[in-house]
Order: sequence, then C-alpha cells, then structure tokens
Amino acid sequence: MTTSPTLARPGSPSPAGRGAAGRPAVRARRARLPVALTAAGLAVAVVLALPLVFLLIEAHGAGTANVTGLVFRRLTADLLWNTVRLTVVVTAACAAIGTAAAWCVERTSLPGRRVWAVLVVVPLAIPDFVVSFGWASLWTWVHGFQGAVVVMTLAVYPLVYLPVAASLRAADPGQEEVARSLGVGRVRTFFRITLGQARGAILGGCLLVALVLLAEYGAFEILGYQTFTTEIFTEFSVSFSVPAACALSLVLVLLGLLVLAGEGMLRGPGRVSRSGPLAARQMPPHRLGRATLPVLAGFALLTVLALGVPVGSSIYWMVARSSHAILGASLTSAAIHTALYAAGAGVVDTVAALPIALLAVRYSGRLRHLLERSTYLVLAMPGVVIAFALSYFSERYASGLLYQSAPLLVLCYSIMFFPLALVGVKASLARAPASLDEIARSLGQRRLAVLWRVTLRLAGPGLVAAFCLVFLSVVTELTATLLLIPTGVQTLATQFWAYEQNLSYGQAAPFALVMIAVAALPSYVLGRFFDRSARTPG
Amino acid sequence: MNRLVVTGLHKAFGDHPVLTGVDLEVPAGSLTAILGPSGSGKTTLLRVLAGFERADAGTVTIGGALVDGPGTHLAPERRRIGYVPQEGSLFPHLSVAANIAFGLPPRQRRGPATAELLDAVGLAGLGHRYPHQLSGGQQQRVALARALAIRPKIVLLDEPFASLDAHLRASVRADVQRLLAETGVTGILVTHDQDEALSTADRVAVLRDGRIAQCAAPQDLYDRPADADIARFIGDANLLDGVLDAGAVDTILGRLPLEPACLTALSSGRPDGPGPDGPRPDGRGPATVLIRPEQVELRANGTSPGPDGGHGRPGQPADGPRELAGRVVAYGYHGHDAVIHVRPEHDPAAPTIIVRTIGGSQLPPGAPVTLRARGPVLAWPRA
Repeated sequence: MTTSPTLARPGSPSPAGRGAAGRPAVRARRARLPVALTAAGLAVAVVLALPLVFLLIEAHGAGTANVTGLVFRRLTADLLWNTVRLTVVVTAACAAIGTAAAWCVERTSLPGRRVWAVLVVVPLAIPDFVVSFGWASLWTWVHGFQGAVVVMTLAVYPLVYLPVAASLRAADPGQEEVARSLGVGRVRTFFRITLGQARGAILGGCLLVALVLLAEYGAFEILGYQTFTTEIFTEFSVSFSVPAACALSLVLVLLGLLVLAGEGMLRGPGRVSRSGPLAARQMPPHRLGRATLPVLAGFALLTVLALGVPVGSSIYWMVARSSHAILGASLTSAAIHTALYAAGAGVVDTVAALPIALLAVRYSGRLRHLLERSTYLVLAMPGVVIAFALSYFSERYASGLLYQSAPLLVLCYSIMFFPLALVGVKASLARAPASLDEIARSLGQRRLAVLWRVTLRLAGPGLVAAFCLVFLSVVTELTATLLLIPTGVQTLATQFWAYEQNLSYGQAAPFALVMIAVAALPSYVLGRFFDRSARTPG
Repeated sequence: MNRLVVTGLHKAFGDHPVLTGVDLEVPAGSLTAILGPSGSGKTTLLRVLAGFERADAGTVTIGGALVDGPGTHLAPERRRIGYVPQEGSLFPHLSVAANIAFGLPPRQRRGPATAELLDAVGLAGLGHRYPHQLSGGQQQRVALARALAIRPKIVLLDEPFASLDAHLRASVRADVQRLLAETGVTGILVTHDQDEALSTADRVAVLRDGRIAQCAAPQDLYDRPADADIARFIGDANLLDGVLDAGAVDTILGRLPLEPACLTALSSGRPDGPGPDGPRPDGRGPATVLIRPEQVELRANGTSPGPDGGHGRPGQPADGPRELAGRVVAYGYHGHDAVIHVRPEHDPAAPTIIVRTIGGSQLPPGAPVTLRARGPVLAWPRA
C-alpha cells in the first residue's frame, strides 16, 4: 500500500468539527502591491520620520562633542532618575488599578457594573494638567514625586483599564472553567489563566502609560517635578539653549524606544487565541459575597479621586473666584481656534493613515510590514521633541517660513497623533474586508460603485472615529501647542495655562471645564465604537 | 448554453504553484463538485473562475465566450457569475432584502424579484432583518438568493455548507440542489467532504496537486477510481497487494475476477486514467487491488475455522474467492451499519481489512471471524 501525501483521506465524517477547521476565513493575499498606494504610504512614512531626522541634523549642527558633553552631566542623571522612578511606579500602579477594576467590572457580580464601566473611563477625558491643577490648587502637599505619582496614576489608569476590559470580554471564559475542572483553585486560575488571557492587553496599556509619562509636561510643571520633558521645554523656550534641548531630546527618544522594545519583547510572538465559535457564551460572574461592600467602596473612592476632585475643584474655583468680564469673548475665540486646529489635524491624519492602513489590512509582505512598523517610531517621540525639532528646523533652515504658523502646528499635531488615527482607520477597514468587495463585483458592480455602496458604508463610522480620536487629543494637547502656537492666538489649553501660571484659578477653571465637556461625551461614544469593533470579527 | 470549459489553467503565488494545468468541462445546467483536500487549490480555482485572480496561463470559456486567456481578462462584474463564499459574506450594513437586491439595477431593487427569491429560499417575510439576526443556515440561503438574483450564467459555491451543523447541512444542501435545478443554472460546488460531493453533485472532479485527477459521475468515481490514491480519498478502501494473472487477480482473499473496465484498460495497454505506472504488455505482474468494505462478507465464527480457512495465500492461486480467518481489532457501530476492522490470522504482515456490514451483532475485539470477498474488483499494476 502506498500512502499519498497529496490526497490524504480525510477522517471519518464529523460534520460538526469540519466547520471551524475548514479553512481560515481571512487569508492574506500575496498580490502585487499597488504602486500608487505604496508610494503614498512611503510619503507618509517619510513625513513621520522628519522630526527624528531634524533632531539628528540639529544634534550634528550643535557639534557632537558639545552634545555628548551635555548628555553626560549631573543634570541628565538626575532627570533620568526622576523620569524612570516615576514611570516605573505610576505604570505599576496603573497596571494594578486598571486590571483589578477591569476584572471586577467584567467578571464579577459587582452591583451597577454598567455605571461603573462608564465612570471608571471618564477620567481619560480630563487633560492630565487639569487633574494636576485640580489637586495642586486645593492641597499643597500634592507636590513633587508623591504628587506626581498620585496625579498621574489617577489621570492615566484608564489606559490600562480599557484594553484589559476589552480583552476580558473577548477572552474565552471556557478556559477558566477548564482550569477549575482540572483542579486548579480560584485564585490560581485567576493568575494562571485570566491574567494570561489579559497579558497582551495589560502590556499594551502599560506601554501607553509609560509613553504618556515620558511626554507629559503640564502636569509636572504645576507639581514642580522635573523630568526630561519639562527640562527640554525650559531649555528651549526659556533659556533658548538649543544644544542642551537637543541632547536631552536624544536621551528621551532613546528612553521611548527602550520602552517600545521592552514591550515588544515581553509580549512575544504569541497571540491570544480563542477556540470555538465567536459568539461569546456568558459565564456566570464570580460572586463577590462579603467582598461586595469593600469593592463598592473602592470604586466609589476611585471615582471621587479621579473624577470628583478635578471636576469639583474646577467648579469650586469658577464659582468662588471667577470674574465674568472678559471671559465670554476669549472663551469663544479660544474654542474656535482649538476646533479649527483639531479638525485640520483630524482630516490630515485620517487621510494620511488610509494608504498605510489599506496596505496593512489587505496585503502582506515585508515592505508593508516595515512601513507600518516605522510609523510606530512616532510613539517614542514626545510632543515636546516633535515640536522642538519642527520649530527649530523651520527657524534655522527654512528661514522662519513656517515658524509659529498654523500649518506647522497642524503638521506637528498630525505627526504626534498619527498612531491614534492609524489604529482607528485600521479597525474601520477591517470591518470592510476585501471579500465583500469581491462579492459586490461578482454581482456586477464596478469598482467605484463598490467603494460607494460597500467599502465606505462599512468603514465610514470608523473613519469618523479616527477623526474624533485625533480631534480630542488635539483639544487636550498643551506642550507642543505652547511651543508652536501662532503669536496672538490662544487655544483652550494655552489660555487655561496662561491663567493657571498667573494663579488666576477662577479664570482658568472655565477653560478646564470646557475641555472636559468637549472631550468626555465623544470619548464615551468612541469607547463604544472600539468595543463593538473588537467584538464583531471582520 | 452556459457550458464552462477550462483548459491548461496555471496559477502560482510567488514561486508557489497552486494550479498546474487544470482541464475541466462542466456541462450546462449540471452541478459539478470540485473535491480536494485542504490546500489542493480548490478556492484558487474558484477565484480564477470568478475573475478575482488572474490566471498565469490557460483559458476559461463560459457559454462559448472566452473570459480568461492570453491577453484577455474579463472583470468580475462583467462575468455574471454568482459567488457564494463559505462564510456567506453578507453585507452587514444592508437588510436581507437589500442584500438580495444588491446586484439588480436600481429600478428593479424594489421590485417583486426580491420577495420571490426570499420565498424560494424559504425565508419569506425575513427581508427586513439584518445579517447578524440570521442563523448560519439562513445566511447561506440569503447568500445563494443574492447570487441567483442577477440571473447568473454560473453559480460558484465555495464550501457553502462547511460551517453548518449536520442537520442544517442536509436541508440547506437539498435546497441548493432544488434551486439550481429549478433555475437551470450551472453550478460548481467546492468541497473537501467526499460524502457531500458524492451525494450532491451530478459530476465530481477530484483536484489533486493543482490539476484534475479524475472527473466522473459520483458512482463511476466510487466504483472505478483512476488510481489507488483516489480510491482511498473517495470512501473507505482496502488496498491489498495482489498478482495479476489472466483477467483475474490473486490476493490474500483468493482469486478475484477483475472489473470489465479494468480489463479493457489493461488489455489496451493504458491505465484508466493517470495511474502510477504502465502495465506490463502481457497483463501479468504485481498489482494494487481495491476491495471496498461492502465487498467483503463477514461471518462470526461460532466454531474453529474450517479446514480450508486461514491458509489461503496470494502465492497459491486457487479458482475463486477464498475464506480468510481473522480477529476483530475494532468495531465501529453507526446505527445503519457497522464498520469492522479485522486482522488476518496466520499472516502478521497482512494489512488490517475493513468490512462494512448491515445489521449483525456487536463483536468484541479479538472475536474470530471469517472473511470472504465478492468480485469483481479493480486492480492497478505496480512496478
């Protein structure tokens, strides 16, 4: 008897088992890359790389010996110590709070889960510098390292909560049941299975937290805590010491790259897999029992600290100290400028993300992989470094052509928030798979008709979401805005900042509240969108 | 007429060849199954037919019109080929009715055609629902209705039943057969399930190594597979060593007559299809013999084997089938029948023989049995 390698006899008919094992539903096509799309993607990648290139050119211009001398000095070591210890402590605290909160909301019998799910996320809509202002303006002990830990943890833990909650929702609850049936206890199941399922999400959240901490300026300035970012800002805009700003920027970018690489290494190649049909079976939630009250108290405390204090403090200052004389006009003008810049960056990013997202979602291959990866480098570039690189370059090499102009500011925003737009655009295109385009064409529709009747209809909401994501980020952006804002113009953030620095808390507070209001509702809608797209495959 | 003719079709992805010279003829109005294991290129073949992929070489003709060939590539939207993918791929943003009407010209979209098709696939009244509100079987029916709405020349079905439960599968399959027959549309069904292919299609084409190894009516394919590989792929098969001799073959089960078709093929000096090797001119020599499990009779031994049983050897030709003593290795009960694996006694080197019986009582492992084959059988000469 000869056995054939090509016509293996399939096993005895087991129809139920065939379905899932039949054929992967989504296959990466190895089609030739379309030239126009690839060219557009390359162009976007080049623009994204500009700040880093400018930074290197500037470092070269300042003289290698000069820069090396500025890097290796006492100040750098102090800043490194400040930055690293804060990053480690806050990231760990956020991981613990975010993961615990997500598990309680998603997997336990916590009363009022729907309400908590919203309240826990809302603090993300409050700009970090407003949280900082809210705390520091009320209590003087909120200062320095301890203040920074409290404020930043409360401001950014939702960055861990959101992905972990989503992954717990999507993860296969059957795995926990299997572990229990194999004789593994409740607590050990949590550590071995549940945390394992959420591992990628926890790491991803921690990455975001660490990058935010590296880039933060406003909150630390208010708290009087010195990090690389605050020092770069001071060197550049106060001392006008370009070589020093340059040297510190290089170290900061290196730190960002280290964080990125570390996350990539910890994450490993493995992915969370789910066997069986995707229609999630609801597992009965863990009974909290006697722990219900303490857990409820914990959630209430978290909400008061992260949401109540910043909002309450802003309202307090507005009511107690506001003078309404000039407020209306400046508020309107600032809001209009903010909206214009934010909309500009939103449009630029959504359009620019399209070619790279299309390449990433619909084609495979080394070039498109490289393109997509290269855009992640932007994540390691804090806003202060991007703004500094762009402004100095325009001043020095483009004879001040664009310096402190609206286009340069929008370009800076676009580069900073490109990764956000890319996430949104990719998610939206994944909802419009190529197979549906093909079906539409086989039903007699021409390419343009398919684009209009299928692709855009399906991807449209996601594209709007990507736009909103960038829009909101710009509204609450402070650092780069302070460096690049056209003279005589104020945005909500800069006007808030000007008043805050003058200790005119009553004047600053309305701006804080408007920023929170502008950001809060859409963030909730956005959260719902990404939640849905995470749950519905393809 | 909407006959499909494919000649010399080649398609490679990078340096990985997938289709290596597919020749296929699908008669107008028939339902032809393309059967092959995973990775044999079934889906690629369908995608080339639909126009989603471009063939590297070869031609595709539909109803006498060339749609793929040197310098010719008709766009998918101009082929009028209905495509029903495995997942159904309904447009999630459109209602069932809008999905079905998708390919119709704007003025006809609100016409009666949609309701008629809904009725035809047994989903009358569900037109306002959205795809996520339908079960898997319902989604497949909508996908079929959507493909039929454009009055296609050919409908391509890419494993449309693979994701359905067993009982749903049978009913959806029957509906598909009925609808295709009623509309007279030429159908091509891709599957890796040989039961499905044999029971659904008028003709079955076996795809192997990127080409069609055999294309025949289901019964012909089962009874007269072109080679041992296909025999094993289509249903259970005992493939035994044997020796060809004067129109018969000597095996462990005695001397068995050969199928007439097999005889003709041997005497014409040409195997019936792409066999592994050419036969000897005199029709003698070693061979691989196909004995289907239902061709073997099994008798449970109440007593010890008879004087003749158990000693038949292929090397000692006798006049006819010979009884073979063996012991049960495994007994698989399927309700309507049972499949029993039997190890021949006195010959440890002999392969286990599979027997299918109707009725009969449960046999424990180790139970002694006697086997006897019913000819005629198929045999392929071996080198």
